[in-house]
Amino acid sequence: MLVSLADVARAIVSGVLIGSVYSLIAMGLALIWGVMDIINFAQGDFMMLGAFTTYWLLELAGLDPLLSLPVSFALVFALGVLTQRVVIERILQAPMVSQISATFAVLMMIRYGAEAAFGPFTRRVVTSYTGTVLRFSWTTIPLTRAIAFSISLVVAALLYLFLTRTYVGLAIRATSQNRMAASLMGIDIRRMYMLAFGIGVGVSAVGGTLLSTFFPIYPEMGGFFCLIAFIIVVFGGFGSIFGAYISGIIIGVTEAVSALFISPTLKDVVAFLLFIIIILVKPRGLFGARM
Amino acid sequence: MSLTSLLKTPLGFLSAAAVALLAAAPAVFKAADLPFPANTLLLCLMYGILAMAWNLLSGYGGQLSFGHAIFFGVGAYTTMVLMLYYDITPWIGIVAGGAVAALVGAGLGVPLFRLRSHWFALATIAAAEIFRLSFIPWKWIGGSAGLQAPIVPREKALYYLQYAGSYVYCYVAMLFLAAELVVLHRVVNSRVGYYLQAIREDEDAAMAMGINPFKYKMIAMVVSGFFTGVGGGIYAVRFRFVDPFAVFDLITISVYIVVAGILGGMYTFIGPLVGAFVFMPITEYVRVYVVSRFPRYYGLHVFVLGVVLLVIALSVPEGIVGWLEEKGYVRKLKERW
Repeated sequence: MLVSLADVARAIVSGVLIGSVYSLIAMGLALIWGVMDIINFAQGDFMMLGAFTTYWLLELAGLDPLLSLPVSFALVFALGVLTQRVVIERILQAPMVSQISATFAVLMMIRYGAEAAFGPFTRRVVTSYTGTVLRFSWTTIPLTRAIAFSISLVVAALLYLFLTRTYVGLAIRATSQNRMAASLMGIDIRRMYMLAFGIGVGVSAVGGTLLSTFFPIYPEMGGFFCLIAFIIVVFGGFGSIFGAYISGIIIGVTEAVSALFISPTLKDVVAFLLFIIIILVKPRGLFGARM
Repeated sequence: MSLTSLLKTPLGFLSAAAVALLAAAPAVFKAADLPFPANTLLLCLMYGILAMAWNLLSGYGGQLSFGHAIFFGVGAYTTMVLMLYYDITPWIGIVAGGAVAALVGAGLGVPLFRLRSHWFALATIAAAEIFRLSFIPWKWIGGSAGLQAPIVPREKALYYLQYAGSYVYCYVAMLFLAAELVVLHRVVNSRVGYYLQAIREDEDAAMAMGINPFKYKMIAMVVSGFFTGVGGGIYAVRFRFVDPFAVFDLITISVYIVVAGILGGMYTFIGPLVGAFVFMPITEYVRVYVVSRFPRYYGLHVFVLGVVLLVIALSVPEGIVGWLEEKGYVRKLKERW
């Protein structure tokens, strides 16, 4: 098979665009993992809820995905806070088995609850600009993906500013570094955990909203994206939020470029093999410093 | 303890009665033409086999696996391929499926046992995905369409282990379950079982005592893989159909096994079997009586299972049998036998 340089360039561009959405999902996972040391297997399903919020707001109220974005964040944030209070808070000190099974239970309830509620159908979010493409001399970019990329950058920047420039953000990071010391400094740990979990799943929901503008949505979609997010987080060094952003883009590009050379199913096999090799060889990831 | 004196203890009598009931049940279901209880019983027995096998590695050994679908799928495919392509009876095929699954377990153990706690769990999920994705384009074994066994004439039913309904398969499953119980009981009450528990509690301390964790985890993985593969073989002959999506499924195979194990009690001998007998009827009831009648609500049975798992994980993490043991309603099996 002959692959021209232009094909590779186009693959890189499309990889960066899709990778920026992967990054948002992975950042949420990394935030929760880093702050609370909880692996949230339901991350992809919170993302799916974001996508479905967008879909229903468009169907029922005619709200544009860009306008429903804050709603999807807020709704999933609230659900995340609730999950934190009802489930996660009670398993923070529990053995690993209880932790993993509890987040798996949340996964099953959200994913299959959504399937029972919405039906197992595949849906599309169609707006007036869905088919619009930006034309360049050497490639074309769908407008929806360009928008998704820009918003992803903005959200990542906002999260960065929040975690490094605000009191609450600093408090969340302090909690992740040393829970005891943070609580001695007068930080309300419970509140920080609720915020971290809410923001973590909320950011993923924003990723879901952006994804829904150019990707078919269905209740079980979270499974694939959660696994991708795991690969990204491990690749970026677990707990490192900004490592997750960069490695999300790297994974997106790798995926798009390798699709030129190998078949789509084998492409995912390579990704999972990489995942196992990375945790075997370099468990701290490429950007392995904690936050 | 002899059988007659065992019958005199209340729990011994209850267990004997349960075994007798279980043995009579499929025949009664067949006579009364009750397919639903028979199907459910078969699933209870099958997931019982799987969860008991899983518990050796994940409960006794503490190596939490979310990838047991690998062994299940490999066992199912081996049985099917031997039957379809080489005309080998499933009676051998099921055992061969277990053997191949055990080999796969040994192969996977080499890299995966370098990982601890949640890293091991994550790697098993990734490994199961790799198996599923690699079987999809594998044309020789049917690719994504899977393999289907043709209907055979009645006189060959015993050779190809092909019977209508679940009734006969219940006895097949009971046979393998009995064999598994004997083997596992010996393993957990031997040096291997004690070393595994030592490794689970504190791997570094176990190493300091001269235990080689890799060796004992490997034994647990091989035995666990074998019986999970046997479970897959039983599935293949019962449903006469295997495809990569069904047999390597993360939720309906790997996670269901974990749910049965946790629900019944991971750190107990018989717990996972009890767990399978508790959760399978619930989810099957919802699936058959609610979801099949109202297909609109497809997925509800898994949702219900999620609720069960959440309640268990939050309020009774030691599981049903673990809780009974703690309260003193049942003595630990080890002390009694």
